[in-house]
Amino acid sequence: MVKVDDLGIKFKMEKRRRSRALVFLLERSRKRQQSDREFWALRHVSFTVERGETLGIIGSNGSGKSTLLRVIAGVYPPDEGKVSVSGEVSTLFSLGTGFNMELSGRDNIYLNGIMIGLTKNQIDGIIDVIIEFAELGEFIDLPVRIYSSGMRARLGFAIAMHSDKDIVLIDEIMGAGDAAFRQKADAEMDRIMGERTVLLVSHSMATIEKHANRVIWLNKGVIAGMGEPKEVIEQYLAASKVKKPPPDLD
Amino acid sequence: MYKMIEQLKNIWQRRELLHYIVKFQMKAENKNKVLGFVWSFLDPLLLCLTYIVLVHYIFGRGGPQFPILLFIALISWRWFASSLNRSVTSITSKVMLIQSVRFPLAILPLSGIIIGFFDWLFGFVILVPMLFIFEASFTVNVLWLPVLLLIEFIGIVGACLIFAVVGTYLADLGNIIRFVIRLCFYLSPILWAVEEGRIPERLHTLYMLCNPFAGLLESYKNVLIRGMPPSEYAIVGTVVACVAFLIGLWYFSRNEYRLVKVI
Repeated sequence: MVKVDDLGIKFKMEKRRRSRALVFLLERSRKRQQSDREFWALRHVSFTVERGETLGIIGSNGSGKSTLLRVIAGVYPPDEGKVSVSGEVSTLFSLGTGFNMELSGRDNIYLNGIMIGLTKNQIDGIIDVIIEFAELGEFIDLPVRIYSSGMRARLGFAIAMHSDKDIVLIDEIMGAGDAAFRQKADAEMDRIMGERTVLLVSHSMATIEKHANRVIWLNKGVIAGMGEPKEVIEQYLAASKVKKPPPDLD
Repeated sequence: MYKMIEQLKNIWQRRELLHYIVKFQMKAENKNKVLGFVWSFLDPLLLCLTYIVLVHYIFGRGGPQFPILLFIALISWRWFASSLNRSVTSITSKVMLIQSVRFPLAILPLSGIIIGFFDWLFGFVILVPMLFIFEASFTVNVLWLPVLLLIEFIGIVGACLIFAVVGTYLADLGNIIRFVIRLCFYLSPILWAVEEGRIPERLHTLYMLCNPFAGLLESYKNVLIRGMPPSEYAIVGTVVACVAFLIGLWYFSRNEYRLVKVI
């Protein structure tokens, strides 16, 4: 179960890393200035996801969707409010960004598995299923650097799905891969739905509608709508001034 | 204080992660090279040879045991220098990973230090036959070696934890640190010996007290080559290392969560 209560996450607005050096020095020499502009990536966000539920998260770019997943993964501590997560979290490395490009797919499975808290023995037990599921064939022993983005996404998805963690976070990854893989991914989603708690971020309304029990619409860091997938998606699309839902590749 | 103990506990809990980061990092670094792991042995050897050419042949200095005295000092210095250089970018180079999953960030600078220690070990493998060739005196004092390594390790951890935080805020630190390390390299008794250097005799004590590395490097030479117990000035290095360790651990623990938001 995931319980988020009045969550707020605050960032400082800083222009570039170079000027951050100055900010850092000034901050230390003078008393901390209040002139640092801050912005709230998330504020007053409250919701609960029950065990076995799939929560869809939608919203325009920069609305705080990924930040929300990161808070639940434990990356950012809340600046305001409380987040309680019961169970172990598996993070989906979105589009394989956590991979080491020089290493083979096999080595990366171990590295990512250990990252999310599996032991070597546990990975030994599931690695064949992961390779099979990701459909990488002989590519599995070649460096990830030469993989296509679809192959990387498939590998990332396969690791997250087979890690047997209670809470699965998925950040915009269902769209990757070809039609055959997407069907398989959909089937896999159906399989784990009801068993595990899933938080699914996507820009594909079809994906959200198909899998989510409930949807949160984030707008500029606050919840703009929450409830039945169909209704919230309609509100979101209406607010985005899109007449028809964007054509999906399915 | 509580935070610092908690930090050590967290790192210990994720030691398997540390192990794999080190293993795969080393694998990735050597993968595309024709000679692969052979470079781990060639690197210190070639580095040592260049300095022998410089000091022995161009400047005409250094005694008969100069190559091994230089070698042990060089690999021990290199451990410190490479760890420090790595630590500055250890956080910023792993942004994607840090933003995907929660783990003790100190593991990142630590992994660089452990890789540096493996380099030391590879160098040591080369050094052992050299000790016989150059007739080092082999005594029971060799048993001090692990103690010296531990002192150096503690000091490096402290320094790297500090520089990992500062380097994340201040990208320029990488440039600064490279020059500072180089300067300190020449200021430490690596290419020269304190007795034959340009420091006037009456200032020797002062120098050994001011440079925490001097006592440590002399101690390495003492226990491995001269068959003597560690230099008494190693105490300076020990104190500095322990203080750096405590400050580093405190500073890193205090800033860990802030780092995640600025990368």
